Amino acid sequence: MKIKNLLILFCVLAFLSAQAQKNEYETSLIADSLKENANAIVRLNQIDITVSSQRNMNIKTIRVITVLNEKGLSSIDAVENYNKKTSVKNIEALIFDSFGKEIKKIKRKDFKDQSAIGGSTLFSDSRYVYLDYTPIQYPFTVLYESEIETSTTAFIPHWYPVSNFFVGVEKSVLNVQYPTELGFKKMEFNFSGFNIQKTIDTDIQLSYVATNILAQKQEDSSPAFGTILPKVMMGLEVFHLEDVDGRAKTWKEFGKWYSDAILAGTTALSEETKTQMRTLVGDERDLIAKAKLIYNYVQQKSRYVSIQVGIGGWKPMLANDVDRFGYGDCKALTNYTKALLDAVDVPSYNVILYGDRYKKDIESEFVSMQGNHMILAIPDGKEYVWLECTSQSDPFGYQGIFTDDRDVLVVKPDGGEIVRTKIYEDKNNTQISLGSYSLSQNGDFKGHITIVSQGSQYNQKAAVEILQPTEKEAYYKQYWGNINNLKINSTVLSNDKENIKLTETAEISAVNYGSVSADKMMFAVNAYNQYTRSVKRIRNRKNPFEIQRGFSDLDEISIALPQEFAIEFLPTNFELKSKFGEYKSEFIKKDGSNLVYKRSLFIKKGMYSNTEYDEYRLFIEQVSRNDNAKIILTKI
Amino acid sequence: MKFNQFAILLFVTTCFSSLKAQEFELGKVSVAELQEKSHPKDTAAVAAILFKKGKTSYDYSKSNGFVMTTEVQTRIKIYKKEGYDWANQKVKYYLGNGSKENVTFSDAITYNLVEGKIEKTKLSKDGEFDDEVNRYWGQKKISMPNVKEGSVIEFEYTIKTPYVGSPKDWTFQASIPVNYSEYRSFIPEYYTLNTNFKGFVFPKVTVEKKAKSVLFSTMEREDGAGLMRGQTSNYTQSKLSYEETRTTYIAENLPGMIEEAYVNNIENYTAGLVQEVSMIKYPNQPLKYLSTDWNAVVKTIYDYDDFGLELAKTAYFEDDIDVVIAGLNSEEEKVAAIFMYVKTNIKWNNYYGYSCNDGVKTAYKNKIGNVAEINLMLTAMLRYAGLAANPVLVSTRSNGIALFPNITAFNYVIVGVERSSGLQLLDATEILSVPNVLPLRDLNWFGRLIRKDGTSVEVNLTPATLSREMIIMNAVVNDNGTILGKLKRQLTNHEALLFRQNNGGTTKDTYLEELEHQNNDIEVEDYERENDLEVLKPIVESYKFKSTKDFERVNDKIYISPGLFLGAKGNPFKQEIREYPIDFGYPNQKRYNISIEIPKGYAVETIPDELSIAAVDGIGTFKYDIANTGNQLQISMTTEISKAIVLADYYQALKEFFQMMLDKQNEKIVLNKI
Repeated sequence: MKIKNLLILFCVLAFLSAQAQKNEYETSLIADSLKENANAIVRLNQIDITVSSQRNMNIKTIRVITVLNEKGLSSIDAVENYNKKTSVKNIEALIFDSFGKEIKKIKRKDFKDQSAIGGSTLFSDSRYVYLDYTPIQYPFTVLYESEIETSTTAFIPHWYPVSNFFVGVEKSVLNVQYPTELGFKKMEFNFSGFNIQKTIDTDIQLSYVATNILAQKQEDSSPAFGTILPKVMMGLEVFHLEDVDGRAKTWKEFGKWYSDAILAGTTALSEETKTQMRTLVGDERDLIAKAKLIYNYVQQKSRYVSIQVGIGGWKPMLANDVDRFGYGDCKALTNYTKALLDAVDVPSYNVILYGDRYKKDIESEFVSMQGNHMILAIPDGKEYVWLECTSQSDPFGYQGIFTDDRDVLVVKPDGGEIVRTKIYEDKNNTQISLGSYSLSQNGDFKGHITIVSQGSQYNQKAAVEILQPTEKEAYYKQYWGNINNLKINSTVLSNDKENIKLTETAEISAVNYGSVSADKMMFAVNAYNQYTRSVKRIRNRKNPFEIQRGFSDLDEISIALPQEFAIEFLPTNFELKSKFGEYKSEFIKKDGSNLVYKRSLFIKKGMYSNTEYDEYRLFIEQVSRNDNAKIILTKI
Repeated sequence: MKFNQFAILLFVTTCFSSLKAQEFELGKVSVAELQEKSHPKDTAAVAAILFKKGKTSYDYSKSNGFVMTTEVQTRIKIYKKEGYDWANQKVKYYLGNGSKENVTFSDAITYNLVEGKIEKTKLSKDGEFDDEVNRYWGQKKISMPNVKEGSVIEFEYTIKTPYVGSPKDWTFQASIPVNYSEYRSFIPEYYTLNTNFKGFVFPKVTVEKKAKSVLFSTMEREDGAGLMRGQTSNYTQSKLSYEETRTTYIAENLPGMIEEAYVNNIENYTAGLVQEVSMIKYPNQPLKYLSTDWNAVVKTIYDYDDFGLELAKTAYFEDDIDVVIAGLNSEEEKVAAIFMYVKTNIKWNNYYGYSCNDGVKTAYKNKIGNVAEINLMLTAMLRYAGLAANPVLVSTRSNGIALFPNITAFNYVIVGVERSSGLQLLDATEILSVPNVLPLRDLNWFGRLIRKDGTSVEVNLTPATLSREMIIMNAVVNDNGTILGKLKRQLTNHEALLFRQNNGGTTKDTYLEELEHQNNDIEVEDYERENDLEVLKPIVESYKFKSTKDFERVNDKIYISPGLFLGAKGNPFKQEIREYPIDFGYPNQKRYNISIEIPKGYAVETIPDELSIAAVDGIGTFKYDIANTGNQLQISMTTEISKAIVLADYYQALKEFFQMMLDKQNEKIVLNKI
């Protein structure tokens, strides 16, 4: 009897909860505050990670997303990668209409299966399955479930309770389980101001719950998503990667493991190649001079081709193979260069880092597998010379804007260490323009200019050097977009790779630069280097803003005015100093028809608060206003 | 066309002497080629195709029946590092349903000059990759070894395909110079090939006929239908003689193709061959037409089960459409109601094509379908309602221009309704579209309307009506440098469609920030917008603005542009010369009426002269009027582009037209302190 009653009660409860379940996904249940600025709402994002052993990890995902409009589609993120070491055990989705009624079920076989090759990757043995669903109405809700299993425990996915900009979050949950002996560790970032509770934190379990997080707006010049929104990094001290076990508590241990388990045995070269390298360096004794010769050899011989096979994602292709084929990816080419340097007794170390124009550090406080790129470091006294081995044209030791100024892991045979790469100081990122122009009495412009760029400004100008003639012309017409009717008569670029200095000289002309009306002529004095990038006004800015790289521009231009005109109005000299930088413009009258224009603009790199943004906008506005200052001439 | 039912083939002989020895053969790389530092005709070229030779022929095989084989040999010179990408090659192949295509690479060698001697490096198996992209397509890739500046690379690939109906297209031109390009097709008399040229360079064509004979044995069937059919035990041996047409196409010294702005699809202008089997005549069988002219193409498509049959179905929607059109009398109302019904009820799954995939019934039930399902369904519904509706085959912009009769020329279908007032074009895949305002992807020269009787007629897809942007602005200039005003803007037709497509999902704040930024950083207040979703009406937006950047004071004078922040920002045409037609998408008109009140204590010193210009051959007009009464200025500017596509010959004239317009808009009004 008792049992039967219980059963009935249980059935009733089950029924009730099933009822509740049905209405759960109704769109009208979402709080209005969450919908503000949102393209999608995360109703629930629960990730259950179970590390059962050093060589096994299981990740289950239950994600319920209400998509409000087309731009919210990417938040569904119903995609899983797989390869020989990672399998997708389950993947399915249910679609609900705005009333929470189920309208479609998508089984695994209806997911698309695609190879992970695209863009610059020549080959990869990774594939992915993804949901290709076309909504028939908005809003709608997706319940996505997946389970993956992998033997790779070197990477535990980061937890982002807020998955993207313009997404509101009702609830996001993380549960992680792990055996004590694997040395699980975690690190929390940017929690403050967000409603995130740590519900369990023991030596075998970790749980967080985040609730009611408003949609975050993306704003110009914001730091990267991952550096301002909450994040949890996780890792194991005892881990497994592609058939290799690992153990590391410190960067020193990690570097040692990477060196011994992954890199060892990959730098062997044929005697013939070694002899060739020794012949190449000849009697040279200086290590850096020898390295230059070898780097030049690699640049001439090899090209970058991305091939990601098996452990190839982490282990470099054999140096001997690179020697035979003449190509490889960043790891392969770095390791090959290292092997060639070994042959001539120049020590060098593999460097693991994030290669990106947006500066991103290896998180030094969190020992784990990180990074997406590899370069080579050659010790030079207390410093390092950094070599980008995938480039066939970079000057020796030049880091440009892809690997500069960030924390990286230098892998030495006796262990790893975190080092900052070269910082290109704001004041050294120079562009110096010296030139002249003259105007005819109809306002026609004729000019000559020499522009020398160094530091991180060298980087973008070096890219101009290799453009095709039509592209080069388009570049200059864009660069001098302020000059209408522009004709580029000639350009010469000379690249001094020894001193890392790029010199451009150009002859240009333009009809009607000076606008003539009645007996007056008017034109902007600063023809060659106007700062035209204005800064957008943003209503209620919330995010800090960042200037990633500073620079210093200097201009000195002599101007010959038409003999038939006299100066009626000359703009006044202007000087501006602020925390963001300095600006100065001078208009010097030499005689009745000759002027000299001097200008300097210095912008500092830095991270500034949201409230300083408007101040920055006004600073730039004053710069561009003065860059556009006009002279007025009157006919004599 | 079931070729695997063909006779078992025993032996094939060919009775012709091989063609005269070619100058261009793999393996014969010269020292001179390796020494060449830059391309003699284009010194900036990063690489060049020294020669590329292809041959398509038909062969029998016992297991696969009739198979088409295409062999391509290529020699490429690498001049610069930026040309290294040419050392990686890929060839796509169809995985299909069972009968897959087969690609093999061979004779892939890199040549370098080392101390005056030629060094050869062969591609090893490690440099070859096979990638199953998805369920339908795979690709074979090679990455040539040991490539340096100055290297010459060579390779050959062979594609064998059971899909004999459409030989691979041949492209003579590339983004780098091509010195010699040769294509040969060996076609048995059973097939008639439809070959068409595209681009601005035409190859030299030579044709020769050769007799060919095939020895084969058949197990003839009782009914003996067809020479090469039969499955009974009667075993006979025969000799089949037929004629083979050998066509050779040669093009030499082709310049590299340069990408330009405002080009709809550069493929349209790249020299090449597009070919297709237009007729099949097997021995003892009736002649089968596939595509000889547009009518045959259309007929072939119409006869496809997933086109004509799908179009004929009506039962699935009849009850619903009866409700939709109940009480409606005029054609106009019926078209509008049915169009709206399909647009809002059936979503497009982003797949192109003129053939149905799941079929109209399934699409209707699931409320989702491809282009054909949606627009054939719409056609059938309109016909059911008594309208003269027909499908119109279209080649989208991304597919290039349908220049000549060919089944693959089209990739899309829309709907044409023939009414007393003229032809109305509809595309229900775009919910924001209205009759005769098609999404931009459809606007590509001409389509073909297919009537029920199988006849067809060409349809101009370029919109006949202007899309307009109309602005009325009232501004007051203050002595302190700010300009305050009100603005009302109306957008019609394609201008409205594009606006709705671009801004439909944008939040108000984000839209306003962009609006302010695009208009010289004005500050916007009291913003209102009408008809966001009422697509038959124009978009109307109105707002108050404050401008600080459109005012310049020098001494006692104030300089302002008559258009304030509305003026053109720069000439869109910056290049000196133009190779390809200029594509505006649709004819359009911009009309701005501006009134400006000048500050107290100032008088108008000078105003720009009025101007009225027309670009040659009716491409466009610009009219600029300005008048001053008291402290008021009235300005009106009207720009009209009447043609959607303008030939490259008009480029200079068009560029000058835009420049005159721009210069005029840049002229200032000068105010003087009294």
